[in-house]
Amino acid sequence: MANTNPISRAEAEDFLYHEAELLDNWALLEWKDLYTEDSVYEVVSTDCDDPENADPTTSLFLLADKKDRIDGRAVRLMKSAAHAEYPHSKTRHLYTNIRVAGHDRNGTRLKVNFLVHRTGGDITTHFMGELHYLLVRVGDAIKIRKKRGILDLNSLNDAGQMTIIL
Amino acid sequence: MGVSASALQLVQVDQQRKSFRIHRSAFKSGEVFEREKEQIFSRCWLYLGHRSEIPNRGDFVCRSLMGRNLIFQHTRKGEVIAFYNACTHRGAAVCWDKRGSKKTFTCRYHGWVFDTEGKLKSMNAESGYPEDINDDGHLNLPRVRLEQYGGLYFINFSDQTIPLYDYLGDYMRGVIDAINDQSASGEMIITPGEHAYSINANYKLLIENSADGYHLMPVHRTYLEFLADRFAGSKDADVAGTMKGFSAIGGAKAVGNGHYVLESNVPTGRPVASWIEPWGSVLKEEIDATRARLEQKYGKERMEYICELQKNIVVFPNLVINDILATTIRTVEPTSPGTMQVTAWCLAPVEESAAMRAIRLDNFVSFLGPAGFGSPDDGSMLNSAQKSMSGSPTEWTELSKDLQDVDDLRVAAGPPDGETHMQGYWTQWDMMLRGAETLEG
Repeated sequence: MANTNPISRAEAEDFLYHEAELLDNWALLEWKDLYTEDSVYEVVSTDCDDPENADPTTSLFLLADKKDRIDGRAVRLMKSAAHAEYPHSKTRHLYTNIRVAGHDRNGTRLKVNFLVHRTGGDITTHFMGELHYLLVRVGDAIKIRKKRGILDLNSLNDAGQMTIIL
Repeated sequence: MGVSASALQLVQVDQQRKSFRIHRSAFKSGEVFEREKEQIFSRCWLYLGHRSEIPNRGDFVCRSLMGRNLIFQHTRKGEVIAFYNACTHRGAAVCWDKRGSKKTFTCRYHGWVFDTEGKLKSMNAESGYPEDINDDGHLNLPRVRLEQYGGLYFINFSDQTIPLYDYLGDYMRGVIDAINDQSASGEMIITPGEHAYSINANYKLLIENSADGYHLMPVHRTYLEFLADRFAGSKDADVAGTMKGFSAIGGAKAVGNGHYVLESNVPTGRPVASWIEPWGSVLKEEIDATRARLEQKYGKERMEYICELQKNIVVFPNLVINDILATTIRTVEPTSPGTMQVTAWCLAPVEESAAMRAIRLDNFVSFLGPAGFGSPDDGSMLNSAQKSMSGSPTEWTELSKDLQDVDDLRVAAGPPDGETHMQGYWTQWDMMLRGAETLEG
């Protein structure tokens, strides 16, 4: 019997700080296991008119991973032949203003402000915006069913590429 | 650098030694960059936008090209035109929106009003101007020369350049036709959403990279491994095996005026129309129908060319169309000798099924764009090349692979993992920079 009790803000915070720590430590093979089998990780385009409701099957996103590509992304980024992240950049994920935005049988929805600093070589760039999460309980654990990144950017001209995970 | 770029032959060909090389000031020098703007970007046809982006009267898109702010406009009368987005009064932009639909443009500074043809309709003043002040039209927003082929609109800053149709030439028009033939109605659209990003490298490094069969295995091994993992257990699982035969199918072709096409076989599946088992049987029906339609229309050979061969296309000097695992239109805008801005869109047949559109978009982001499994590794190579060559004593870049023994390297064909096509681009580039080719009729 699935535990469908709402996830509290405090629980969500602990969980997100754990995710951030795994990302900053490049523990991506552990990070990918935070995601359910039916999960998606998406970042909408910087020119998207309706970032909350946009659909990656009809609009071009920056990325739109189902679980197979979430796993693939983690595996790829841990290889030394993933040139764009070799050597791994230094990152710092700041998740703040964490709000529980609702709860239903699909899980608990969160809105989270984020700021991620990335240093690759001598260049430091910043990704900022809002993350929309759908979290669920799986046994005793909390997992991510959906994570959508909405960047407060109009292009990636400052950052260049987005090879790290938000 | 110590060498005046204009005094130097920047591209050197030695057929005896089978050597084709490029002086690296072509990537680094501010003087070369200024000459490129004047000799190349002010004479060549430059991609502005796609017909489908402004489907209705009044629709517009604002776009910046080589530092010029332009409006790509579908007029109220039904024409498609382009004009400058700068008020003829005191210079402010008359439109601050990225895209939309309007009856008129009102300058925010002093309230001058222009219609969708760029004509001045009001100066927002009761008095102070003679009534006939704009009888000669000098206060209308100046238009830019605009021509289209197959729904692709290009501007030209010169009145002297040959028409777009001739500029593209037979082969390139045929490639564009092959892309548009993916649609039964011939109507292709740009899907919503763009990729806009930058690379700290000379724009020509991305032009080379966008159709480089030679770099696939070293740079994109992790992507091919991802595909192999994903296809495991299907009949398409032997990705490495297919890649071993890469050099045997297709070719790298310089097709005139500096344009080129890499035609090759990469086992990603193509929404039009090369099915792979991991997509499932539903899409197979749609793909089989497309193949049957094209075979009936053109015969088997052309059908297979349209459906199966991946086409990495460069329209000189800065447009890339990659008709590969999805179809992308990518413009490359140099912003300095060592920096560029890239904008990319997804092109799709208007009538394809929702499931096919979903596969197309999924394919696109799986490999392409600033967060894909492919493009960022390319970007890293270009960043690295730009940075490292600047401190290197090696003066020349070696681009000799598969140099063909022909009089004009701008029309030549070599194997898909060669550099023959790029030699055609660089030959055109060199001739235009020196003024030996002006593209005037």
